[in-house]
Amino acid sequence: MEWVFYTLAFLIAATLTGTAVYALYWSSRHGQLRDFERGASSIFDQEEPVGQMTDHFPVKRQKPQTGVPEAESGKRSAKTK
Amino acid sequence: MPNVSSLAASLNPATPTDMVARAELSEIDASAKWPVIVFLLSGLAWLLIGTGFALISSIKLHTPEFLGDYEWLTFGRARTAHLNSVVYGWSTNVAFAVAFWLMARLSRAKLRHGGLLIVAACFWNLGVTIGVIGILAGDSTSIEWLEIPPYATPLLFVAYALVGVWAVITFRFRKSEHIYVSQWYLLAALFWFPWLYSVAQIMLIFEPARGTVQALVNWWFAHNVLGLWFTPIGLAAAYYFIPKVLGKPIHSYYLSVLGFWSLAIFYNWAGVHHLIGGPVPAWVLSAGIAASLMMVIPVVVTAINHHFTMVGSFSALRYSPTLRFVVFGAVNYTLVSLTGSAMAIRGFNEVTHFTHFTVAHAHQGMYAFFTMVMFGSVYYILPRLLLKEWPSATLIRTHFWATAIGITFYWLELSIGGWIQGTEMNNANIAFIDVVQHTIPWLFLRSVAGIVITVGHVAFAVNVGWMLLMRRPAGVTAPTLFHSPTPLPTPSVR
Repeated sequence: MEWVFYTLAFLIAATLTGTAVYALYWSSRHGQLRDFERGASSIFDQEEPVGQMTDHFPVKRQKPQTGVPEAESGKRSAKTK
Repeated sequence: MPNVSSLAASLNPATPTDMVARAELSEIDASAKWPVIVFLLSGLAWLLIGTGFALISSIKLHTPEFLGDYEWLTFGRARTAHLNSVVYGWSTNVAFAVAFWLMARLSRAKLRHGGLLIVAACFWNLGVTIGVIGILAGDSTSIEWLEIPPYATPLLFVAYALVGVWAVITFRFRKSEHIYVSQWYLLAALFWFPWLYSVAQIMLIFEPARGTVQALVNWWFAHNVLGLWFTPIGLAAAYYFIPKVLGKPIHSYYLSVLGFWSLAIFYNWAGVHHLIGGPVPAWVLSAGIAASLMMVIPVVVTAINHHFTMVGSFSALRYSPTLRFVVFGAVNYTLVSLTGSAMAIRGFNEVTHFTHFTVAHAHQGMYAFFTMVMFGSVYYILPRLLLKEWPSATLIRTHFWATAIGITFYWLELSIGGWIQGTEMNNANIAFIDVVQHTIPWLFLRSVAGIVITVGHVAFAVNVGWMLLMRRPAGVTAPTLFHSPTPLPTPSVR
């Protein structure tokens, strides 16, 4: 009986090796191994561009100041510093 | 036949009804919300359960009478319950959660068939729960890393089959032209794990191999679970989050691809180094040792890449919780892998084998590397799913410092204690009982480190619970809520 299981195990292993070889072949055929610069920047886009940090510690929420223009509120916070 | 055609449309990205543009990040995050949250919360629950079993088994090693009256909490069961809770409960659940989110984001496609994943989560967690209860009841298979009793494993298989089908569908629906290196790692891991698990189940549980072949299969499986399942997921996260948080492409994309393929070629052979000195053919061990040393290539490549991506941006560690955890994990990946290669050398192995040095090494790999990277990933992912910020920066800092200091102390002191234990065991003039007694102070220190780590886990759990319960500010729809308190340093981009 054990040969049935071992044949199954062998077939799974052979399939997996085949898949890995095919994956390497496929990536080479489809240009995945060329133009590495573009590959590295593929995780950035207009929404989250290069040069912009996308994570930091949470800050205490400030009450929204209604009616204060943005530029003015910026000046005020600059003064308080 | 509308049903058949809609089913085909849901599986085949080439159908005309699916000619849609790349999804926005916010849409992708929203589509991933429930499956990822279900896996994350299950993982968190297992983390706390696993930490409890860890403390019990650690204390029992230096104070054996602790909880000595409960047979279901004897060391053999509590320690095994710890391992299975943290490996199949916490680590695999969180690995799934992070993998799904990353896969959807990198494929630039909305997560489809989320219900499939929620069913998979139910099967997986039911399987692990029955498995851990079975272990506590004394039904462990006694095969390391495969202790879950045979009556629970079919549930795990069903869960994994669903996840595998989902991964292939998502990959086929990708809208990104380029396959980023993290996607290679994720896809490979999602293929490798069922292979390892099924072959190991066949050759060790269903139709056990005879003689030393059993031990070979056991260590081939146990070591590859680390190297071909958890390591690729951890590295996929590191390769995504370090550049993404910094807003700076990875130092050398070429090296990252080289690292992936060399890991794929060499890692599979390395596990047999656990049997050095055992009654297995010498050539098998030599092949395993050679492969273990060849692992230096992907490790050094990854280390160079992560380090040079960070150069010039180390100050960002002050501002980003994700980066702190992930960089801590990445540094430990380098350390643990190089130590692992050294431990495969026969002379080194003669000292460290059968000692607490190996335990320290395993925790550095699974905790200081993998778990810390996963913590960092959760700090990035969860706010984008819930559209809320983390409620407490103090709890994040407590979590980081408690776990980072705890695991570093754990690894250092247990490595020293393990090395002393190994040299004493090799000295025929020292009685074995003396060697055992000399380990007690180190084991006590291990429990202290465990308590410090537990503080971190509680802080993390409180923060996650708080975040889930707190109300979302009105009108928030953007995926990225963070507004910098002070202007952040612009990372230098080459």
